Amino acid sequence: MALLELNDIHKNYLNGNVKVNALKGVSLSIEDGSFVSIMGPSGSGKSTLLNILGCLDTPSRGSYRINDQNVEKLNDAALSDLRNKFIGFVFQQFHLISGLNALENVELPLIYQGVTGKARKEKAQAALEAVGLGDRLYHRQSQLSGGEQQRVAIARAFVKNPKLILADEPTGALDSKASENIMSIFKNLNEEKKITIIQVTHEKSIAECGKIIYHLLDGEINYIEEVQAH
Amino acid sequence: MFKQSLIKAFLVRFCFTAKMAANGILSNVLRSALTVLGVAIGVASVVGLMGIGEGARLNVMEQFESLGTNVIAIKAHDENYEFQPDKAGELVQRVESLEMATPVVSTDTTMRWRRTTGEVYVLGVNHQFPEIRDHELIAGDFFTQLHVEQRSAVAVLGYSLAINLAGGRSPVGQIISLNGQSYRILGVLEEKGAGNANDIDNKVVIPYTTAQRIEEKRTVEEIWAKTASSKDAELATVQLGRIFQREIGSAPNVPLPSDGNETVEVEGPDMVMVEKPVPEPDKADIPTISRDPITVTNLNQLVDEIDQANRIMTLLLGGIATVALLVGGLGIMNIMLVAVSERTSEIGVRRALGARQTDLMTQFLLEALYVSLIGVICGIVLGIWGLNIFENYGFQTAVSFDAIKIAVVVALGSGLLFGVYPAISASSVPPVEALRRQ
Ligand SMILES: Nc1ncnc2c1ncn2[C@@H]1O[C@H](COP(=O)(O)OP(=O)(O)OP(=O)(O)O)[C@@H](O)[C@H]1O
Ligand SMILES: [Mg+2]
Repeated sequence: MALLELNDIHKNYLNGNVKVNALKGVSLSIEDGSFVSIMGPSGSGKSTLLNILGCLDTPSRGSYRINDQNVEKLNDAALSDLRNKFIGFVFQQFHLISGLNALENVELPLIYQGVTGKARKEKAQAALEAVGLGDRLYHRQSQLSGGEQQRVAIARAFVKNPKLILADEPTGALDSKASENIMSIFKNLNEEKKITIIQVTHEKSIAECGKIIYHLLDGEINYIEEVQAH
Repeated sequence: MFKQSLIKAFLVRFCFTAKMAANGILSNVLRSALTVLGVAIGVASVVGLMGIGEGARLNVMEQFESLGTNVIAIKAHDENYEFQPDKAGELVQRVESLEMATPVVSTDTTMRWRRTTGEVYVLGVNHQFPEIRDHELIAGDFFTQLHVEQRSAVAVLGYSLAINLAGGRSPVGQIISLNGQSYRILGVLEEKGAGNANDIDNKVVIPYTTAQRIEEKRTVEEIWAKTASSKDAELATVQLGRIFQREIGSAPNVPLPSDGNETVEVEGPDMVMVEKPVPEPDKADIPTISRDPITVTNLNQLVDEIDQANRIMTLLLGGIATVALLVGGLGIMNIMLVAVSERTSEIGVRRALGARQTDLMTQFLLEALYVSLIGVICGIVLGIWGLNIFENYGFQTAVSFDAIKIAVVVALGSGLLFGVYPAISASSVPPVEALRRQ
């Protein structure tokens, strides 16, 4: 059974008087446990698509089913809970919360789940240790390197054991060494924890960490590429 | 079990939201402090101005209460209408609700005590005076009915006068000379406070019969009467008004405004003030009495009226200060809007991690509430401190509970009110929008 299913998704923006069709009828279905990459030129609608997949944005037309639920029918609280329990996000700009330290950032999704004190702290600490940041628990955003910040963000994304991690150019702001590190974490999450991963990237080498690559062009799926195991 | 975990989840969420709201305030301490100051000044001005108003009210109240309770003052403003001393007793007989009454004579005399001389005001009354005007004695006794009947040369001193003359030692038994005649001092009245109770602290009280001799007069210009309750006082005032209205109407050798209707019938029980006959146009040159020759004043009522006026003034001051408080509220709205736009990206991240609209709304409302709450506390402290300073300069002030209530309600209310719009705008930013903006 497919984990998520997009059916003829359209997304239009009104830029002043100009109508922009960011997505023009995208249909796809992604199986549980897969590792998907999305590529395409700038402006082709990759981020738009990912935001819709993450229930951060709503399509102008078309239907979206995730985990057997029709997203259109959910209210704000249900959508928030869905994002909270089901989906982990990783952004290009990391988006850690500046007022909180690494540990507190990772605890955040657990707080919204109502996990209390000690259990919450232990889980968050374990997640940070898993990404190799066991010695950076109390550092704040400004005291961490870009690669470290992204690893905190990844720890925050998987600490709640989600079904799905969505990553928009997770290595876009990192050098190749840090990027490799991130990719090995993703692979590990995908293989060990069976978390489905969907990432957007510009780099072929990063995209090839996934098992399947969707190529977007002008708001449509241009072609689908299977990655050969190497 | 299920319900318990739900409550626990809610609490975890709420505590975190409260903590984030506090973080928001701490993220820009100077800005928050300025906003708090805005609210605090508003609250302080409500507490301060109303405190000053209330203090002034209490001061006036004290003065009037020192006049004695349930006292009715009957005063003749025209020599032709002055009373025979017997009138006091007669009124007590005629008006059932009157318990007692004293004729009152006041006059200026030259006093000599040992080597000190000076002008002193003398009050001539009967032996019931302390009871009528609620005076206690701190030394000796008041004079008796016998002293009054025998026109004895005895005196009771006001508190300040006694202190000034005898310097703390009891003057009882000593001799004071008034207009050259010697008076034996019988007692000293308790302090009423400077300027209170017709300045009794600086006066000498003697039998009215003796005072009449000083004044060389048979009549008295004033009568003070006492009733048991304030209800009786109202009743007696009405009855006395009626009695004197009738007497004025038929009084001899007094030019009346018109010759036609001298006697005015007073029948209806609610008719207290009798209409004055209107002079006819062709007789307009006849002198008219501009004021009632005899007035009957219920001192309780006087207190009520003045109290009412002062209350209105206090409320007015509070109203003006409340405007300052609302301006403080606008300050809250201002920083909340800035905070929301500054933290849009953070809002987006939190939404992506599972924060609901209600979580964000609560957070920003709490933040506004914190600011106004701190403002209220600082403002109350500031206001009370200001009142203390004011008091050191000799003004009477009072920390009015009403003022604090008004300040707290208005400040928290305006904090919430002005926090609602920013909170709604924070919670209604779509998550994508919030993430896109940097
Ligand atoms: N909020 C918006 N308002 C108007 N137009 C938008 C908005 N968001 C995206 N677009 C437009 O939609 C199109 C797709 O944008 P999107 O961000 O999905 O591209 P992308 O593939 O992620 O590009 P990049 O690789 O540069 O991130 C673009 O043409 C963009 O200008
Ligand atoms: Mg993009």
